[in-house]
Amino acid sequence: MGKIVFAGAMSHVLDPDYYERACGAVGRRTVEAVMAEIAKMGERFSAKKADALIVVADDHLNAFSFNAVPALCVRIGRHVQRMVQDHAEAFDKVLDHMPERYPLHEELANSILEQGIQAGFDLALSWEAPVDHAFLSPVNTMHGTRPIPPLVPIWVNCFVAPQPTARRCFAFGRHIANVVAKSPWNVGIIATGGLSHFPELSLPRVGETDTVFDRKLVHWMENGEHEPLLELTADELDKAGEHEFLNWMVLLGAVTPARADVRYFGELRRINMAAVEWRLG
Amino acid sequence: MSRYAINSLLYRLKKEPEFRARFIADPAAALEGVDLSEPERAAFLARDMRKINALGGYLHLVMSIPGLAAH
Repeated sequence: MGKIVFAGAMSHVLDPDYYERACGAVGRRTVEAVMAEIAKMGERFSAKKADALIVVADDHLNAFSFNAVPALCVRIGRHVQRMVQDHAEAFDKVLDHMPERYPLHEELANSILEQGIQAGFDLALSWEAPVDHAFLSPVNTMHGTRPIPPLVPIWVNCFVAPQPTARRCFAFGRHIANVVAKSPWNVGIIATGGLSHFPELSLPRVGETDTVFDRKLVHWMENGEHEPLLELTADELDKAGEHEFLNWMVLLGAVTPARADVRYFGELRRINMAAVEWRLG
Repeated sequence: MSRYAINSLLYRLKKEPEFRARFIADPAAALEGVDLSEPERAAFLARDMRKINALGGYLHLVMSIPGLAAH
């Protein structure tokens, strides 16, 4: 019988140079601090010797734009490529030094997909979509030079309205937990992105965060109070710049009612950075 | 306003280096035949990423097109 042996969530632009350009020395210090905690989380994850790592993250209009935008998509196949962007700027530049190819856990991905369709989740699938910094920045920060286990990338449409609801993302997480429980594998799961940044996806508002909203989310996660999170609306998430919390909702569904420990929370004017780990029984 | 037209154009500018080079060299020629409203076309001709974002261009695209990105 399989088990979720590790669960963590974290910010996903993990690049000191990027934040030094955006926020000065405090940007570098802050991201280095959160990266140090994520690296420690990675050591704890590696110690579990898991068979696979599920990564729940979002596409930044790189993989799916604009022929189709899946609400929830499971990456299947045997390997995944990192996104390649010529003359990369901003958050895309984070990828430049990273390995280009990563193994996938084909059987677990297929199980999540096939059993998901049977369970009523109209999941999209992809054999080809590449993964961007939302997946690879946390994965590489967690592992450093250690081997990365086979991945199961799962995309949540966090940005292109209409997005899936918080409640639906949580239900999908419950589905993932059911699949893992019936499987022979020990599995880690991470959700990436956030916390608050880029409210209303509006360029003039880049540089604003919503610390009050972040602390409310953190309070509920620390206390294992997941019911209020199910009521979060797309409008609330958009106004607070919490679009990527939908990824976290999938993880919460997978581990509920586990309580979270905050490993790092740091305010920065461009984004509030966080690294959170769940206490699993 | 067409969210699709704006964003598919932004996506091409990001992902197609040759189209991007043509746009930088001669924006009006590059946009010929592209289905845009007049305010949208004017914003692209002015390379005004704030305006493009206000008209429906997704933030992550207007922030990441090589050589044209708003920061």
